[in-house]
Amino acid sequence: MKESRQPVLTDDELLLGLADGSDDALGQLYRRYFPMVLHFVTSNSGNEDDAKDIYQEALIVLYEKVRSGSLELHCQLKTYLYSIGRRLWLKQLAQRSRFVIRDVETPASDEMAIDQLNDDLIDHEERDRQFTLMADSLGRLGEPCRTLLDDFYIQHLSMQDITEKFGYTNADNAKTQKYKCLMRLKRLFFAEYKQ
Amino acid sequence: MNEEKDIENALHAYGERIRFKQRLQMMQASIDMDAMRQDADLYNSPAEASGQIRKLWHTYRTTLAVAASAAIITTFGSIFLYRSYLQGHKQQEQQYSLLSKEIQAVKTSQRRLLNDFNGRGRGLGINPAQVAGSGFLLTSDGYFITNNHIIREADSVYVQSGKGEVYKARIVYADQAHDLAVLQLCDDSAFRTLPPVPYSFDAKSSDLGERVYTLGYPREEIVYGEGYLSSGTGYRGDSTAYQVAISVNPGNSGGPLLDEKGNVIGIISGKQTTSEGVSFAVKTNYLFEALNSIPPDSLKGQPLRLNRKSTLASLPRKQQIKRMQDYVYQVKVFKHKE
Repeated sequence: MKESRQPVLTDDELLLGLADGSDDALGQLYRRYFPMVLHFVTSNSGNEDDAKDIYQEALIVLYEKVRSGSLELHCQLKTYLYSIGRRLWLKQLAQRSRFVIRDVETPASDEMAIDQLNDDLIDHEERDRQFTLMADSLGRLGEPCRTLLDDFYIQHLSMQDITEKFGYTNADNAKTQKYKCLMRLKRLFFAEYKQ
Repeated sequence: MNEEKDIENALHAYGERIRFKQRLQMMQASIDMDAMRQDADLYNSPAEASGQIRKLWHTYRTTLAVAASAAIITTFGSIFLYRSYLQGHKQQEQQYSLLSKEIQAVKTSQRRLLNDFNGRGRGLGINPAQVAGSGFLLTSDGYFITNNHIIREADSVYVQSGKGEVYKARIVYADQAHDLAVLQLCDDSAFRTLPPVPYSFDAKSSDLGERVYTLGYPREEIVYGEGYLSSGTGYRGDSTAYQVAISVNPGNSGGPLLDEKGNVIGIISGKQTTSEGVSFAVKTNYLFEALNSIPPDSLKGQPLRLNRKSTLASLPRKQQIKRMQDYVYQVKVFKHKE
């Protein structure tokens, strides 16, 4: 088995690997704590799909904190992920008007850790809002701008690839086009975001 | 200028989120879900120590026992009730008998028809039909109504008038839901158009207590029966039928149910076997519904018009019957033997 030959990484190593974008680290991290969240969600009236969504969202919170270098852990990584997942699931349950949950793990309890959790989740919500708006603005942008920006910023295609793909005469032309598109996106996005 | 940087940063962050989500989906696809499930099942943490569970068990075990026995009693009780309901249901089903008669069971010592001028009746005499019932003309040009249960699975259908004339009939339309069947006699060249039908068809629902009568063929001879409308609904609340206190027998099925003025208010369809004088008749209203749903092709393009004005209204009952009986026929059905 491929996984067993890899050294078992500590939590710190996992976080470093995650920040570097290592697939091995992400894989190990994913497998290590998924059963915990799976057990938690499925014993609180969720199904496996809910568990997957909650776990992935918790990992997104962690990943974006790590990538921006702003992660402060005041508890174990396991407790952090559990507490984040727990909060996210509670929020969903509240939408289904259920407020009682059965813990399968002790959530973070000291003040520092809770403050940090709150901050992280507020940040996450804000980013969520921003990204929903971004997806919406991109959708309203129309073609070919949407695909052009998507190719450059999300798929990370090179300017050269884009020039060929869209049939521009040269890379400068493509760049000008991209700039125009970006300006249009800016107007669309900030018109909503400022409010 | 600042906003330009902002939007680029936001786009970069957005791209990063999307790519990370894709990586997560790949991870999810590559993991062994069964192993995860096993790990999740084995997942034991301090928060749900087994000691706590045992303590709960000790505290609540009497309550649990009571709850469990209540559950068992309720379960078996409901099963028992349900089964007895089903059985009752079956019995009731048997109480309803369709009034077509199995002629083979009837003794053939009955008087043979003598006025068999054209020899058509002889075939029937030698080879008695397997099922018989009654029916009557809708129009003088040969459209005919009877019960669906009489002609169901028929190989051939014949109708025989009170005078012994036999005609072959074609099934124009069968309405299984309301147990109605429309036949046509004029396919047979021997059938000659009669004077207009004297009775009318009344779709208005009739009142309880209405004096009613019927004509039918429980025997080879036409038989008159009278009674009154006893309920606005039929067997087990069937709103498409009336309940009639009238004495009918196998063979009466398909006969007309008329009120005092000579309006057809229903078609006799069955009776309850457990009590005497409880019979059922399909409401004329549903006859109209059935007629409306006949595909125009089956009528050869000519709409079926029913008589709306009874010419019997002012006649005494005996005269009414005399005028009526030429329009009420016996239906004989042949089926292939199993």
